[in-house]
Amino acid sequence: MATIANDFTINIATANGTGSQSANLILLQSLFEMGIPVSGKNMFPSNISGLPTWYIVRLSDLGYQAPGDRTHIQVLVNPATWDEDLEALETGSVVIWNSDAKKEMNREDVISYPVPMSSLARKINPKIAKLVTNIVYVGILAEMLGIDQVALESALSKQFKGKEKAIELNLTALGLGRDYFKDNLSKEDPYIVEEREQDTAKFFIDGNEATALGCHFGGVQMLAWYPITPSSGIAEAIIEYIPQIRTNDEGEVTCAVIQAEDELAAAGMVIGAGWAGGRGITATSGPGISLMQEFIGLAYFAEVPSVFWDVNRVGPSTGLPTRTQQSDITMLYEGSHGDTQHIVLIPGTVEECFEFGWRAMDYSERFQTPVFGLSDLDLGMNRWACEGFTYPEENMDRGKVVRDRDVFEAFEEFGRYLDVDGDGIPYRTLPGSGMDPILYRGTGHNTKGVYSEKPHDYVALMSRLKRKINGARELLPAPLMREETECEVGIIYIGSMENTIQEIDDILEATGLKVSQCRIRALPASKQVAEFIRRHETTIVLEINRDGQLWGILRKELPNDLVTKVHSVAYSDGQPPRARVYSDLIMAKLEEVEQ
Amino acid sequence: MSEAPKRPAKVIKLNVINEPKDSYTGGPSSLCPGCGHDQISNVIVASAWENGIEPHRIAKMSGIGCSSKTPAYYLGQSHGFNTVHGRMPSVTTGAYAVNKDLLYLGVSGDGDSASIGIGQLIHAIRRNVDMVYILENNGVYGLTKGQYSATADIGSRKKKGTPNETQPIDLCALAINLGCSFVARSFSGSKKQLKSLIKAAISHKGFALIDVISPCVTFNNNDESLKSYGYVKDNNVTLHVADYIPNRAPMEEIEVPEGHYRDITLHDGSVIRLETISEEHDPTNAVDALSALHAADAESKHVTGLLYFDGSKPSLIEDLGLVENALIDVPDNELRPSREILDKLNAAFLS
Repeated sequence: MATIANDFTINIATANGTGSQSANLILLQSLFEMGIPVSGKNMFPSNISGLPTWYIVRLSDLGYQAPGDRTHIQVLVNPATWDEDLEALETGSVVIWNSDAKKEMNREDVISYPVPMSSLARKINPKIAKLVTNIVYVGILAEMLGIDQVALESALSKQFKGKEKAIELNLTALGLGRDYFKDNLSKEDPYIVEEREQDTAKFFIDGNEATALGCHFGGVQMLAWYPITPSSGIAEAIIEYIPQIRTNDEGEVTCAVIQAEDELAAAGMVIGAGWAGGRGITATSGPGISLMQEFIGLAYFAEVPSVFWDVNRVGPSTGLPTRTQQSDITMLYEGSHGDTQHIVLIPGTVEECFEFGWRAMDYSERFQTPVFGLSDLDLGMNRWACEGFTYPEENMDRGKVVRDRDVFEAFEEFGRYLDVDGDGIPYRTLPGSGMDPILYRGTGHNTKGVYSEKPHDYVALMSRLKRKINGARELLPAPLMREETECEVGIIYIGSMENTIQEIDDILEATGLKVSQCRIRALPASKQVAEFIRRHETTIVLEINRDGQLWGILRKELPNDLVTKVHSVAYSDGQPPRARVYSDLIMAKLEEVEQ
Repeated sequence: MSEAPKRPAKVIKLNVINEPKDSYTGGPSSLCPGCGHDQISNVIVASAWENGIEPHRIAKMSGIGCSSKTPAYYLGQSHGFNTVHGRMPSVTTGAYAVNKDLLYLGVSGDGDSASIGIGQLIHAIRRNVDMVYILENNGVYGLTKGQYSATADIGSRKKKGTPNETQPIDLCALAINLGCSFVARSFSGSKKQLKSLIKAAISHKGFALIDVISPCVTFNNNDESLKSYGYVKDNNVTLHVADYIPNRAPMEEIEVPEGHYRDITLHDGSVIRLETISEEHDPTNAVDALSALHAADAESKHVTGLLYFDGSKPSLIEDLGLVENALIDVPDNELRPSREILDKLNAAFLS
């Protein structure tokens, strides 16, 4: 039988709260340590314990990171989803199943490996059999696929960081799994793993931790947060790193952390910190941003630096709180009532999560306005290969803050909202400085910050704000393009779609199309996006939502003659994007456009 | 030729830091003539001046409503922030976290604090944010033309209205139950008592709530209203007449009240002297404070004075474990971890 190396998808069906996450991460890490391009997606429920969880491991020498079109190897531990999972499999798939689970194996067209996982686990320690069951299937997979024992042991010790007892116990369980496969089963499937040489050293990290580190290297001074999936990891990682990197010899810290009573309060604290001249941030998800809308309008109108990270989950309402989506784009870009427009940074890789983590605060202070980081559950909570983080080359940009009286006195005229430089960005003084004391307000105001309802004051203020944010277009992270010489089909996309785009591109190009890619990394979008659209015969705006939010934003801002050249492909089912789903939709859209 | 006799120079009274009172005033008020809030603004000006606070070291914070407009009418040399409805406490908390060196003087109303902002008020008390929180309480929403607020007393009747049947929230009782470190009630017409309380609250380290009954002359000042000027004047049970002696040399002789008094030492070493009408009241006893409130309530009276005080609570800034300098004074190169630290982190991830 011909073998298939490093090109298949494993789906592991367990229940939440059984410790399967550790086992799955050990599996993922061991493959990673063998140099195999691999990705892991945790499909977990909004629940503490007992509900179904799937972990999808994709191995791909081509570097594809999406979950893949189908499952090649199914691990069945959870009786609750057993029938459903089994039924979904294609003929010839491999099923590793817990023969103690009192469930039937009723498929005869699959390669079946029954394993008494529960009784094997009970042999080691009956009290924690459930926990050990998970590591038994890792042992089975290791033997079946040929995973290197050294890589496994290294992954194990990383997972349990010096907890000798846990390492020992798990090693025994791994061995039991390996031995069971060797002694009782014979390999009938084609799947194997092969070690690969990596060009550059890489490590695994999730987007939330990378964002948190980025915030620290931006010198964040205050974190105010309210727990919400999938963003809590940002706040928790910020807190976790404070002792190590933000604490002096006396044990005093330079970053205040306040767990707020709700998202409204978190937003208020961020704005308070920005008003006082500090760098405040919060991390939340869509429901939190909904609650913060009023404050966001205040920060926009009163021009207070403030940074909000949104780790997008499925909406509307509570939605699917543990599933991924790109559906907060409009809410961020045009957040709050009245006419507004906000800077939105959209990382697509963990390296960018770090970079935009510190840049967000620079932009916010430079433009004196709220800045959003838009990540999503897929990028934020799953682990991705990272080449390392790059130290900021520029100094922190604290914006136009007048700190010295000499400088202040040198102004011919000073007004908090006076556009001195013609870039729409005024100068500000800080509370406590004694210079130009004003009452910041969310009500209409003139260039001195004094209450005004005069039409010309309002119009001047609103057009200056528009000019100010438009001025950011070419200063924000530029779109990244991978362009074909034949400008046939262009795909514009954002964020974590980065992990699926190449596979989509390859599927489309296999049909003879020439496909270019343009990843927007910030809003308001650079003019380069319009130029990309102009160069291409047809452009698709690809996003993970129902209504094509990014498409809507672009259409509003594009020159008229380009509006008809952009078409929306928007789809979301809560799953991390699978290439085939989106490539099919793109093909259908292209056919529709042809007609 | 003999010199013409000089006209005597106008004497400008200065405070301990040589500032005239004018340094503490603000713009003209746009509130209704006779509004209790304007009296409170005047007392704020006097308190800040007499306490000798540098005007630029004060941060004026407010939410939305008639009361929250008043920061424009006092302390014109101080920065301020007129935020959103009821959410002034969180903005103040954030500002305080990064700049602990300002005196945060918050003004709010009952519409702001007893409804949408009640959660933020509660949590600011819970964290013991170091701020003065003056609640200008009139039982109605003035800017939206006179709807009852959540502090309107049962049976109270505003102009052209049916009586309020919903039970009121007593924010002082709430604050005492929450362990607020300084809780007082006063009346906008009792300038002397109010000034003593505000001056004491300024010196207090921790959250100081002063609930000031401040009649709305336009919407809630008819005789059936239990927060009208006339009603409160006649039914105001004074629990303590507070007088304040700053630790700096006093600018003017302080009238020591007749009768019993008690001294309470505040964080900055200054002393608040309470004249005790109700002799058995111990402001460090929360149960007594609540009893006094409930007893007054039973008789439809407002008890005023310093109701509860606890100087032993750590404030939020102590809980945050921050460096000695205010965070906004920490240089950028101490905020951003070094290149070496990032190199080490990258190396540790790879190992």
